Amino acid sequence: MSRRVLLHVGCPKTGTSYLQDVLFRNQPVLREHDILYPADRFDAHFLAALDLMTLPWGGIETEAVGAWDRLAAEVREWHGTSIVSHEIFARATPTQVERALASLGDAEVHLVLSARDLVRQIPAEWQENVKHRSHITYARFLDTIRDPGRESRIGSWFWAVQEIPDILERWGSSLPPERVHLVTLPPPGADRGELWRRFSRTFGLDDLPLDLTAERENPSLGVPETSLLRTINERVTSIIAPPDYRPLVRETLAHQTLSRSVASARLGLAPEDHAWARGLSERWIGVLAERGYDVVGSLDDLLGPEAGTFADPDSATADQLLPPALDAISALLVEGARLRAVEERLHDELREVREELDRARATTVYRARRKVVTTLEGSPAGRGSLDAYRRLRGRKG
Amino acid sequence: MTAGATRPAGSVHGWVDHLRAGGTTPWLEWTDPGATDGSARGAVPGAQQLELLRRINLARESSAQPRGDHDRERTRLADRVLAAPAAGRGKADLPLAGTASTGFGARPVDPATVSPHELLRVASTLLADDLVALGPDPVRRSVARPWRRRFRLVGDPLVVAAVREHLLGRGRPEGGPRPFVVAVGGPLDDLLAHTWTQRCFEHGSRPWHDWLRFWRERDQLPARVDLDDSVRRWGGRRPFVRVVTDLDQLAGHLGVRRLPRARVPGADQAELARRVSAVVGIRVPVVERPALMRTLQRRMPDSGVGPVVVPAAEHEWVASSAERMARRLTRAGYPVVGDLADLAPRAAADRPGPAGPARVDGQQVLDLAIRMIVDPGWRTERSVER
Repeated sequence: MSRRVLLHVGCPKTGTSYLQDVLFRNQPVLREHDILYPADRFDAHFLAALDLMTLPWGGIETEAVGAWDRLAAEVREWHGTSIVSHEIFARATPTQVERALASLGDAEVHLVLSARDLVRQIPAEWQENVKHRSHITYARFLDTIRDPGRESRIGSWFWAVQEIPDILERWGSSLPPERVHLVTLPPPGADRGELWRRFSRTFGLDDLPLDLTAERENPSLGVPETSLLRTINERVTSIIAPPDYRPLVRETLAHQTLSRSVASARLGLAPEDHAWARGLSERWIGVLAERGYDVVGSLDDLLGPEAGTFADPDSATADQLLPPALDAISALLVEGARLRAVEERLHDELREVREELDRARATTVYRARRKVVTTLEGSPAGRGSLDAYRRLRGRKG
Repeated sequence: MTAGATRPAGSVHGWVDHLRAGGTTPWLEWTDPGATDGSARGAVPGAQQLELLRRINLARESSAQPRGDHDRERTRLADRVLAAPAAGRGKADLPLAGTASTGFGARPVDPATVSPHELLRVASTLLADDLVALGPDPVRRSVARPWRRRFRLVGDPLVVAAVREHLLGRGRPEGGPRPFVVAVGGPLDDLLAHTWTQRCFEHGSRPWHDWLRFWRERDQLPARVDLDDSVRRWGGRRPFVRVVTDLDQLAGHLGVRRLPRARVPGADQAELARRVSAVVGIRVPVVERPALMRTLQRRMPDSGVGPVVVPAAEHEWVASSAERMARRLTRAGYPVVGDLADLAPRAAADRPGPAGPARVDGQQVLDLAIRMIVDPGWRTERSVER
């Protein structure tokens, strides 16, 4: 069997969480069919990406030591097809790409990039920034990414992971174009299974008995919910550390509470921004067509939908923010109550341990020995005697 | 040559070779068109790596370097610089102004204009790799003296870390049965500056201003600065507690005659350590980082820059926090060695030593980083005790 590596390097917000979850949960089935998805935890390839790119990430990077080399070693040793997938690989520099490709050995490398139109990616990336502690307004975010100098951290990151021709140039310039697979996301309103069919075909998963239940997704938020979260960030980003922000704000508030409001208006682009994004997409489509990549789907998918009604998150009113705000308060109170119960249980356990200790110390002999020890500890000579005694007894305490 | 003219690929590779050979010509002054087309060569490093290498070459020119394997050592260092990633979520590797561009990716720049922050992203990777390769200095331990006074040190992290290490080397390890809890205090603004500085040399930290803002907006004190809370956390009871604000008397309460003065790293040293620590965190398991960072703290060369100071805008909060802490310590009735009034922040004029900066100067940090890359003395000398 020939050795192949399918290297999926992006983009963010293109259904990657679902794909990676299916691959992670179905590892045994995949192995039976000579396909390796080497991951001992769901985020194994994320850690490998952090390691490859020397990318600190709110403390999580400390779990990434050596992760890329381990992943690459597993891939090199596998006899069949290996899949590596994480969307932040999209940001790798040319030097890091060289290192990554070299470490995969002599396998036939196929590059996979899943891509969605800019019209939907721009609002999605702003929302992702908001879910990662940012309180930049939507208008400012748009100004930032439209700055040709890409001077800001947000701007440089956005284009590094979303500029499709550049990502494919960085990752795919050393590969023949037929080994570069561009998977486009179907337009809005397409059959829900279409994206999976495109992934399945690209990764050679057709006809495999995979469990496709959606266990892990990265749900999107409505306009008032995102606006509320951004406003909350203004208050809390500077005083809540990332390890606390992740479970309390991103998980409890954003993913488990605010994302449930499916009736809220969805975020889009204002007419002028929409025209700019579409113009840019047209240029990209022209360049990509010339490069001759294997396109799974259609390059026309990258043009994006027509402009719809624009709901501006920067001018959400107090009335619009009130319902999600009440949901947020309720969710945090429930979470607070859950944590109080955990704390109470720990106090109970500690109390029990102390009571057992007190019972053990309640004997006359113990009290007499304690008095002797206390007296001896009051002087250097006494401390020396105690130390010598403890050494003879072979204990420290 | 201007930034607007397009140059052949061979010119870029020629400049890279020039820098690898120790050259210092800025990119915009580089006029050699180059002999090769460079298509068979690997990826061109970013402007960050190339400009850092040029600055390193400039620094090497002006420093006395040993002869012998000079060329081989220079080339090895150059290759490391060119291959080093710029750590963290800053800009991608930047292309050089005037080179052929596809019209996509980051905008090309004149490397001479790349900010110290961007150059430090590369420099901190190099120093972190040097530190990991060096490994931790051995910790000096002596046989524990049986007659030693048992103590548990809390408070000023900088002083406590230095004293703890000193005493461990003299057979007086911390802990033991029923220890005295000795809380080391001082002006609260100093305690805050020391705490951030020490954090930089342990697990890293947010930048100084962000860190200070974090605590001010919470109206809380970091755990190690909050003396009352620290004493309670270690189960200190009144007769077995000492709150020491007069450091001259600290030795006596730990059962020794004298203690060395703790060295307070400068703002540039702390900031560089903060950046190096972030990279070390991704290079070695988390338990190994503190020992490596302690090694860096011991070996980092002095630069004469003062330690960070609390900016004037924060003084009111620091003063009220100090008063609150002093009230709580008074109510708890712990014996005080010195005066709790010493917890109040000091006016800048009353501060000994060089005046520290309220903001960390990126250029000073970069100068220190380049000095450490150029002069390997800090890692080739035997462990230095300060």
